Amino acid sequence: MAAGETTTKKSPTLDVNVLLKMLVDELNQVNKKLDLVIELNEKMLKMQEEFLQRITDKSYRRKAIKPVPDAMMLLSLPSSLRKTVMALYKLEKATAEDLARETKRLRAVESASANQLVRMGYLKKKREGRKVYFYIE
Amino acid sequence: MKGKVITIHSSRGGTGKTVIATNLAATYANNGLNIALLDLDFRAPSLITVFSKGIRGPVKYWLNDFMNGQCTIDQALVDVSKEYNLKGRLLIGLANPAIEAIHDMMGKSRAWEVAAVKRLFSLRSTLFNDMNVDCCIFDTSPGIQYSSINAVISSDLSIIVTTLDSLDIKGVQKMLAEFYDAFEKRTVVLMNKVFPETRIWSNGRQKELITQMEKALKRPIIGVIPCYCDVLQAKRSSLLAVEKSDHPFLRNLQEVAQKLEHID
Repeated sequence: MAAGETTTKKSPTLDVNVLLKMLVDELNQVNKKLDLVIELNEKMLKMQEEFLQRITDKSYRRKAIKPVPDAMMLLSLPSSLRKTVMALYKLEKATAEDLARETKRLRAVESASANQLVRMGYLKKKREGRKVYFYIE
Repeated sequence: MKGKVITIHSSRGGTGKTVIATNLAATYANNGLNIALLDLDFRAPSLITVFSKGIRGPVKYWLNDFMNGQCTIDQALVDVSKEYNLKGRLLIGLANPAIEAIHDMMGKSRAWEVAAVKRLFSLRSTLFNDMNVDCCIFDTSPGIQYSSINAVISSDLSIIVTTLDSLDIKGVQKMLAEFYDAFEKRTVVLMNKVFPETRIWSNGRQKELITQMEKALKRPIIGVIPCYCDVLQAKRSSLLAVEKSDHPFLRNLQEVAQKLEHID
């Protein structure tokens, strides 16, 4: 550069200010992203907690896995209960007396068996007048 | 016999279950009875092939439609009596062989299977009371599957068809112990494809074979049908009971049919 020539240099302070502003902006962005990560993490933890609660909660399990008296399931039932379900397959809707007629067992046996199946969730029962009917939903 | 539902079942495929079911149905129909034969093997439908000569025009309703609650049982039955010149009526319920239908039947829920058993029970009143059917025969899929179990549960009598193959025999033993015993269903065993060269058979010791098998399976043997090459080689679309009614296979089956009539 020749002597006496003047150069118009940008002020170094200005650059620093711009840089600082840029840095602040970047930090703000990072902050926002971190907030998002924290928020998502909290959501995931909450979901995990709910899931763990669901699989340990018996009432939830009962609701989620509805007992269905299909043929394969019948194999896992005691024979006394199996007979009642088989009779209901045929009769569709029956009183304990109807069941007893079909299975040739005592009415009291059928009543106990059908009520046990109702408690297990395999059968439903409804009252019609003075009679109580059992059925497979 | 009248008002009875009979299931033809086996532990494995290839025992001749469908040949027995179709010819038993045709034999009864030839004797003047009204028979409904239902193909409950939804994974591998076969009645559509066996009765292809007797089915006129497109099938309007399949048995699948009845099971899905989309039609009544009378709508799902095809009368083939005239085509085969039978004395009685032979009504057949066909399983849909389309891949989409097979796929649909394979993906049914447990709740649907419960409804299916109820449907199989409910068809009795329509068949026996309204349609004057004497006997209904279910041709099922082999082994323990929903379609076969549902059929066995809803029938009055099961005929397990087996060969002398040890895999078949062991399969039947297992099936009887783990499934049939639990449901206390009346069951008989039909030995099929028994090689005439079998030592015990060729020496005329058939009674000994039957005693042995009854001891092993703890069920009565309703018949022993030898293996006939021409039956094995016959076209799948042929119905022996109509085309070769004097065939020894048919004579054996006729004996089985008579014995079945005397079972309560």
